[in-house]
Amino acid sequence: MKYLDHLEEWIITFLIGAATLIIFVAVMHRYAAGLPIPGVQDWLIALNLSWAQELCIIMFVWMAKFGAAYGVRTGIHVGVDVLINSLSDSIRARFIVFGLLAGAFFTGIIGALGAHFVWENGAHYAIFNTLGIAGKELYAGPTTPDLEWPTWMVYSAIPLGSSLMCFRFLQVMVSFIRTGELPHHEHGHVDGIEAEAAVVAGNVADDLHAHDLKHDTRHPESKVGAGGTAGGDKGDAK
Amino acid sequence: MSALIIFVLLTFLMLSGMPVSISLGLTVLTFLFAFTSTPLEAVALKLFTGIEKFEIMAIPFFILAGNFLTHGGVAKRMIHFATSMVGHLRGGLGLSSVFACALFAAVSGSSPATVVAIGSILLPAMVRAGYPKKFGVGVIASSGGLGILIPPSIVMVMYAVSTNSSIGALFMAGVVPGLLLALFLGFTTWYVAKKGNYPREKPSSWAERWDAFRKAVWGLLLILVVMGGIYSGLFTPTEAAAMSAVYAFFIAVFVYKDIGFADVPKVLLNSANMSAMLLYIITNAVLFSFILTNEQIPQGIAEWLTHSGVGMIGFLVAVNLLLLVMGSFMEPSSIILITAPILFPIAMKLGIDPIHFGVMITVNMEIGMITPPVGLNLYVASGVAKMGLTDCSKAVWPWLLTMLVFLMVITYVPVVSTWLPKTLGMM
Repeated sequence: MKYLDHLEEWIITFLIGAATLIIFVAVMHRYAAGLPIPGVQDWLIALNLSWAQELCIIMFVWMAKFGAAYGVRTGIHVGVDVLINSLSDSIRARFIVFGLLAGAFFTGIIGALGAHFVWENGAHYAIFNTLGIAGKELYAGPTTPDLEWPTWMVYSAIPLGSSLMCFRFLQVMVSFIRTGELPHHEHGHVDGIEAEAAVVAGNVADDLHAHDLKHDTRHPESKVGAGGTAGGDKGDAK
Repeated sequence: MSALIIFVLLTFLMLSGMPVSISLGLTVLTFLFAFTSTPLEAVALKLFTGIEKFEIMAIPFFILAGNFLTHGGVAKRMIHFATSMVGHLRGGLGLSSVFACALFAAVSGSSPATVVAIGSILLPAMVRAGYPKKFGVGVIASSGGLGILIPPSIVMVMYAVSTNSSIGALFMAGVVPGLLLALFLGFTTWYVAKKGNYPREKPSSWAERWDAFRKAVWGLLLILVVMGGIYSGLFTPTEAAAMSAVYAFFIAVFVYKDIGFADVPKVLLNSANMSAMLLYIITNAVLFSFILTNEQIPQGIAEWLTHSGVGMIGFLVAVNLLLLVMGSFMEPSSIILITAPILFPIAMKLGIDPIHFGVMITVNMEIGMITPPVGLNLYVASGVAKMGLTDCSKAVWPWLLTMLVFLMVITYVPVVSTWLPKTLGMM
């Protein structure tokens, strides 16, 4: 499990960094090739970087799919939680489980549909051909315009990412049922500011995410703050 | 009828607290499965092709650029510069907050992060100097939203992609309203300070100002890289975003030295996390707008509106009210992605300029950041100030009122938004 976590983090970190570099190099190349430096210019013009844009898109789509799964684990996905956060703990817990199950259900279906699509559009053909099983009569599937990669490979981000996301939803649900805790993302986290302020700011509960059952112990200051007013506080008053 | 089913379903799913992206996706799946014969495989494909546009990729790049510069060190430089320029006026620290928030928000691209970064430094300073805490919270929570309007703005990219408008023209259109709003907020701050007879700082010499400017300018040049690059035609908006990310990395690591090489993977991971969340909402919103178009819902509403005799003015009032209400419950990106595909065709039919409409929606989103119950800026301000959420919402009202006046100006004087891009020949 640890390995899967690290692999996921490593993949998305690499994808965003590499995509940035690729576009940077492609743009630099476009202008550098215009500079009349003898020798270098010919070499630069001979380099063909027209695939950079397509590769960047593919990398970001993969990043988006795996990052969305990672996001379930870090609790970053935003929702409209005003209503359920004003409910009692036990009822809210049911809504949270319902929401997580719905997430698992949706991503599960998309994973299955995606797998079917990828299989029909080239994966079947490619795998059977490589294994030497007669597969010549199957559909080979299209390729991407610039890189000429088989699209089924590119599109396999959908079944892989969605299945992983489905797994993450179930994982979060199991841990919520066991411990009553949800992963929580810190909006407005800033490095390099005074320690005390940073801790307080990071601890704010908002209504874009569901409050879990440990919410009261983690946000004592919000209770103190709201206590002084006449209970008109919809967000944190509980 | 189908419109009713879709919206009731979506509202129900969203209110149950699941992520917005999942609510959108499930609404589409349920509707397609139960009421149409569209093959479901098309849905899976759309999930990939929905974000297969190079324009959308500006979002992760801008988030990355912002994250490199979202650092206390950058905030301190901006504050130093702002204080040296306007600190000597009445309510100087308040005015400096507005100015510093505008600068920091423009480069960091995140409103809540701006409130935390500027607030955690200037709020204690204001309290020490004898300002009421309420005043500080009000100024910072409301000015923190300025970044949404000042380019580069992720909310604007969201609008541009979901309506096929030009990112460059929209960014350029945000410049004048952004400066104007900063001026409006500054005026309110000055007025409140004058009435309360709040202190001022001792004036800085021009040498000090120059020194502060020199330190802050490296971060601010990011805006120039983006706007200059797009305007001169050197880069497409997405390329400009990628260049700004590399520029921000260079400045943060080699010039400011706020972060070291070892911190870079963490910045990348955080940016990827945030971008993936937004891209996931976009993919599902694309699905959603696909069924809206399929069922011809925007056309239906447009037809009904033109027949009922609601003109442009009435429509704009209605849009503002709708967005303000939604803004109090949801975060900006989701609102734009859900409402733009519906509202945009209607606005076009009524002859509203697409860029003007975009700026107006953006201003609405900004107001949504400080309206309870779900104003994200209020939450973080309440955390920084250790003040209750209700007190924070009360503290912002002078600035909230100012923003509403500003919204009226933007709504009914389109030339404020369209003048600059038109003069520059971008639209």
